[in-house]
Amino acid sequence: MSWKDVFSRTRRDRELEEELQSHLAMAVRDRMERGEDADTAAQAVRREFGNRALIQETTRDMWGWTWLERLAQDLRYAARGMRRSPGFTAVAVASLALGIGANTAIFSLVDALMLRWLPVHDPQSLLKVKFSGPIESLSYPVVRVLDEQKEIFSGVAGYSGWTFAVGPSGAIRNVRGALVTGSYYETLGLNPTLGRLLAPEDDLPGAPAVAVITHGYWNRQFSRDPAAVGQSLRIGGVPVTIVGVTPPGFSGTNVGEIADITVPIAALPLVKPEAAGLLGPGNSWLRVLARVKDGMSVQQAGARLSAVWPAVSQRAISPAWPLDRKKGVTDAVIEIQPGGTGSTYLRNLFGKPLLVLMGVVALVLLIACANVANLLLARSAARQREMAIRLAIGAGRGRIVRQVLTESALLSMTGATAGVVLAWFSSNFLVHTLSNDQLPIVFDLTPNTHVLAFTAAVAIVTALLFGLAPALQSTALKPNPRRRSFLLPPLVSVQVALSLLLLIGAGLFIRTLRNLENVDPGFRSEGVLLVDLDGRRSADTRELLDTVRRVPGVLAAAISTHTPLSGSTWSDPVAPAGQPLPKKDNALFIGAGPGFFETMRIPLLAGRGFTDHDANVAVVNEEFARRYFAGRNPVGQHLSGRVRGDAADLEIVGIARNTTQRGLRAAPYPAVYVSYFQLKGDVQGTLEIRAAGALSPLAAQVQRAVQSKLPEASIEVRTLSAQVDRTMAQERMMATLAGGFGTLALVLACVGLYGLLNYGVVRRTREIGIRMALGAQRKGVIAAEVKRAVALVAAGIALGLPVAALAAKGIRSMLFGLAPTDPTTLAGAALVLIAAALVAAYIPARRASRVNPITALRHD
Amino acid sequence: MAKTERYQNRIELIQGTLDMLILQTLRWGAQHGYGISQTIRAGSGDVLQVETGSLYPALHRLEKQGWIKAEWGVSEHNQRAKYYRLTVAGKKQLAAESDRWNQLSTAIAALMNPGESEGPA
Repeated sequence: MSWKDVFSRTRRDRELEEELQSHLAMAVRDRMERGEDADTAAQAVRREFGNRALIQETTRDMWGWTWLERLAQDLRYAARGMRRSPGFTAVAVASLALGIGANTAIFSLVDALMLRWLPVHDPQSLLKVKFSGPIESLSYPVVRVLDEQKEIFSGVAGYSGWTFAVGPSGAIRNVRGALVTGSYYETLGLNPTLGRLLAPEDDLPGAPAVAVITHGYWNRQFSRDPAAVGQSLRIGGVPVTIVGVTPPGFSGTNVGEIADITVPIAALPLVKPEAAGLLGPGNSWLRVLARVKDGMSVQQAGARLSAVWPAVSQRAISPAWPLDRKKGVTDAVIEIQPGGTGSTYLRNLFGKPLLVLMGVVALVLLIACANVANLLLARSAARQREMAIRLAIGAGRGRIVRQVLTESALLSMTGATAGVVLAWFSSNFLVHTLSNDQLPIVFDLTPNTHVLAFTAAVAIVTALLFGLAPALQSTALKPNPRRRSFLLPPLVSVQVALSLLLLIGAGLFIRTLRNLENVDPGFRSEGVLLVDLDGRRSADTRELLDTVRRVPGVLAAAISTHTPLSGSTWSDPVAPAGQPLPKKDNALFIGAGPGFFETMRIPLLAGRGFTDHDANVAVVNEEFARRYFAGRNPVGQHLSGRVRGDAADLEIVGIARNTTQRGLRAAPYPAVYVSYFQLKGDVQGTLEIRAAGALSPLAAQVQRAVQSKLPEASIEVRTLSAQVDRTMAQERMMATLAGGFGTLALVLACVGLYGLLNYGVVRRTREIGIRMALGAQRKGVIAAEVKRAVALVAAGIALGLPVAALAAKGIRSMLFGLAPTDPTTLAGAALVLIAAALVAAYIPARRASRVNPITALRHD
Repeated sequence: MAKTERYQNRIELIQGTLDMLILQTLRWGAQHGYGISQTIRAGSGDVLQVETGSLYPALHRLEKQGWIKAEWGVSEHNQRAKYYRLTVAGKKQLAAESDRWNQLSTAIAALMNPGESEGPA
């Protein structure tokens, strides 16, 4: 049987017609040869021939039905069945849509974040090159050395996401882009839509500053004007010539980030002079994608690279470095890994949470399946007569099982279709909530073939899961009234167990978020605005601060090199004077200006903060004092250290409370504050502005005030609270989603429980009626029904608790401030479940108690 | 009235017998549906009249079983017609059925005419 059979059907019909026609013609001819005239012969033959349509019909029957026609027949029948019971259909389809939709939504994120190939030439052969260890980035000189190994690599691309300040003076906007090495586009194998892409010559010192823009940027900013190539973009106040446009669909190699403008790294000193230091050997900031030469295996490439590395790496280290730092590069073990899916910090941040969520939504879908199976089982009991008749008039069991499975498949496909739509919206919404203005996360979540194939597979498995048991049961040859619902109660208990699992998970994640929110960060984030200065040290920073302080509503303002939880920190080695300097950085450094501690509301435990006239002073935090001055008063003591490469002698003038710098979960770490204005060279700076009252009107005023002083910079005002909040993005996502899915699971399980009890009451109407006729009280009837519910729920909880305790161990690292088997959470989840179950049970119980004995006894 | 007459003259074919007769007819070469019915009729001295309503479903059933194969051809009178011929499987099937038929007819003959029966040993 094949498609051909179906399409040849009409041809076969025509052939049959012709065959019968030729039979008639030959019969007439024979008669005429025997001497009959044409009319008589034709009449006689027709009479002999019989009912032609009937002959065709019975002959056609011999061809047999093709599977597709049978499927069409089954589908029509199933659709009719769905229309006949809209209530059942609505509940089933909604359960499935939510279950499948949740799976599709999470999967499309997993796909976008982890599975999708970059839209470049032959992504499968792209390789990621890094030093062994947790850090994925390499320095610019290291990337250049790798690129020079032409007998190993056919291409090496180094890149880093970057924010460019684009536009004319006074109207500068931040545009996300990337700094890349000259071989970037050649390595990726991309062809320009327009103009040319970057070439190795563009990435040489002194080369004219050029840029390549994405198709999207060309579309938005230039309305696809071909004359865009050759025009200049003003980046950092310097004209940069656009030389080409990348193909549509490509937006960079950092997954989840758009890089609209790419500029060769050699042009960085032009567009942002203060960041020129990045080109040196001391900064590892470039991710590397490469391709090995044709005919060479990855293992061979790795072996040859490690053979030449000790010699060639000499060019990537600074002679001024201490020996062990040099050895860090020359002795590095280089790893070559598959890299065709690009790279992203988001994978570290959301990879595990998404996998946990994948498990969560799989459980939700199981619950939904159990629900639909429940409904189908209950319905199959009602359809037993129909099935018995169909079996009796000769339908094969297999045929009926197939029919019932077709109904399941139709339900599940309808659910899946609704689910895909649901998923599209919800996953976009989810990404939107995770995204922030500083670093927008951009995913193309239009359902693609991966996702649709996944959904289709899920829908099929789902249909089999919830359809097979009812299908087999409904065709069981001996309809046994006791067997009828043997599957239902365990199913409900399993549902309860699964939803308990999800509720406990939700509880753990919600309490983790609460615990994090309640962590005392050591400063007061509410009411503080932040403004990043682009780092060019302007002589008038003090004047700028004064301007800001004069804005009405500003209580205090200060400047510092780093702000807490910004994601960026600075560390250096330091020790009390007289002690040997540690080899490794042992303290966080923060350059802070006058008024910093007051503005941030970081309490000083002793001494003072910074003034305008400080030189070589430091404030240490509690943890530093505890570790290095145990029991002594550090104020007045001296520290010696290496601050930004220079030896320094600092006098401690104060002790500040510990603040969380690197993360809310991190243990207190020694920190040294140094005076911002005593730091030499270009230093990055962020203004902290404490405000009285509403922040948003003030933010606009601050923006205008700062912009007027710095017309060449892109000035964006943000809040410290948002910065603190952002560090909890992962936990917030888990709490929100686990909470949402937990609630969904609870509702589904309650619907299942309600359905089962209700069905039981309907089936036992007669029994209840008899009991009431014999004097049973309404209260007693209610109690009996509720007892049944409690038994089911108790079984579910007994099943779910140990499983939950086991499963929670797997998410231990994602929790904060509580154990995976936190008794409050476990008990709370169980209580919520019991309460919800009682509500679900009460409705059918009440219905049972309202049974009228007279009606019930007449009930068939 | 003609109809009644025809029914009186006809012998109802036992289920499956028609299939055997068709296969038997095709033993001597490809034949179209009309030809098959004429051959059976002539061969049985006009006793067996195959109705078209039985013939064509049977032909198509046999074709589906793979015992016969159909091909379009042209008759001696230049009439396009569908010709059926035996396949290898059909030949085997015919052999099996004619064996069965011989056993059956001998057995029935023995039961119907007990006196004449010598018994096939």
